[in-house]
Amino acid sequence: MAEPKKRGCLGCSLPIVILVAVVAIGIVVIGFLAGPIGQAMFHLDLPSWIVVEKPAIHLAAPHLFEIGGFPITNTMLAGWFTVIFLVVGSWLITRRMKIVPNRIQVIFEFLLGWIYDLCESVAGKENGRKFFPVVCTIFLFVAFNAWLSLIPGFGSILVGGGGHEYELLRGANTDLNTPLAISLVSCVFVAFYGMKSIGFSWVKQYFNFGPLLRSIGGIFKGKINFMDIFSNFVNAFVGGLEFLSMLIRIISFTFRLFGNMTAGEILVVIVAFLVPMAMSWVVYGFELFVGFIQALVFAGLTLVFVTMAVASHEGELHENKNTEEKELLKEGT
Amino acid sequence: MDAEAMKMLAVGLVMGLGALGPGLGIGILGYGAMQGLARNPEARGPIMTNMLIAIAMAEAIAIYALVVAIMLGFVF
Repeated sequence: MAEPKKRGCLGCSLPIVILVAVVAIGIVVIGFLAGPIGQAMFHLDLPSWIVVEKPAIHLAAPHLFEIGGFPITNTMLAGWFTVIFLVVGSWLITRRMKIVPNRIQVIFEFLLGWIYDLCESVAGKENGRKFFPVVCTIFLFVAFNAWLSLIPGFGSILVGGGGHEYELLRGANTDLNTPLAISLVSCVFVAFYGMKSIGFSWVKQYFNFGPLLRSIGGIFKGKINFMDIFSNFVNAFVGGLEFLSMLIRIISFTFRLFGNMTAGEILVVIVAFLVPMAMSWVVYGFELFVGFIQALVFAGLTLVFVTMAVASHEGELHENKNTEEKELLKEGT
Repeated sequence: MDAEAMKMLAVGLVMGLGALGPGLGIGILGYGAMQGLARNPEARGPIMTNMLIAIAMAEAIAIYALVVAIMLGFVF
């Protein structure tokens, strides 16, 4: 055999291409007709197994069972599933590491190397190496949570009965508690490195009452300096505002992730209801992208905040080269 | 106007008005990124990354509205 003859198009013979196109168009048309839009327009009598029933959406994660009085919800199961997947996957990939990597190792080396470069470019060489584990863990957990819950069949397993049927697994970030937990972890991480690098004065950024009390105390000693009291009062107030912005940061972290994941889940369900089979593919692609972007935003913002907490003292001494990048992110929140 | 109609109206208004601001914001972000790109085409990578992150932030505000709308529509 010399060269294969080029026939048809797209590498297939013409009948196969026509067959695939007919099947795809047929799925789109039938999906459109079976959905509520097509039903309302044409009033066709289709067999009942094609018509999708109206989806029930519940925001609160249902309790599946209890372990020692501690309720276990389906989102927690999905979170554990993600953790087990990541741990077993990492073990399998790093079991036989080679200088010349195989295909899966290349993918993960590329992903982790990319996050590592991001850490180094934002936080500098030394700090980037320190912050990498937590940032990368947050990224991997959020991203794989979103991606694993897109696998067909992930949300199809129903448990329970008698009108109370729930999915066995549901993306962990569609429950408000998981994003809250991750954002608290990120906040504690920021506080830890802030305290570690600049000591107790990190807390003084937020609770700056010492100079104010001292200048008020000065009144009783006969030293009245109203300008001093006023400026110290303003400083204490600014510290309070900083503290408020930290609280708002946690809330914004939480609701951003929760909202995006929940909206994605509901979008998939609603689109599968409106135009069955046809539109779901597009939305699946979009949700893959959203999961990646949200993981990047969560990890990247954690990285930026911890860099700010560490650098707020050093920044006065020498010019930080990444000021522009940080300011852009700061304005975004 | 009965309670159900009021609820539907509220859901629509929350989502519509809530998408207004982020829509403007994303438009401004895209405008800025395009201008930066036209002035300095070599900086495509960093502009793209930062634009995506900033767009995700602006989009998050619309997502808050969406959360409220979903809660009004399905929960209460």
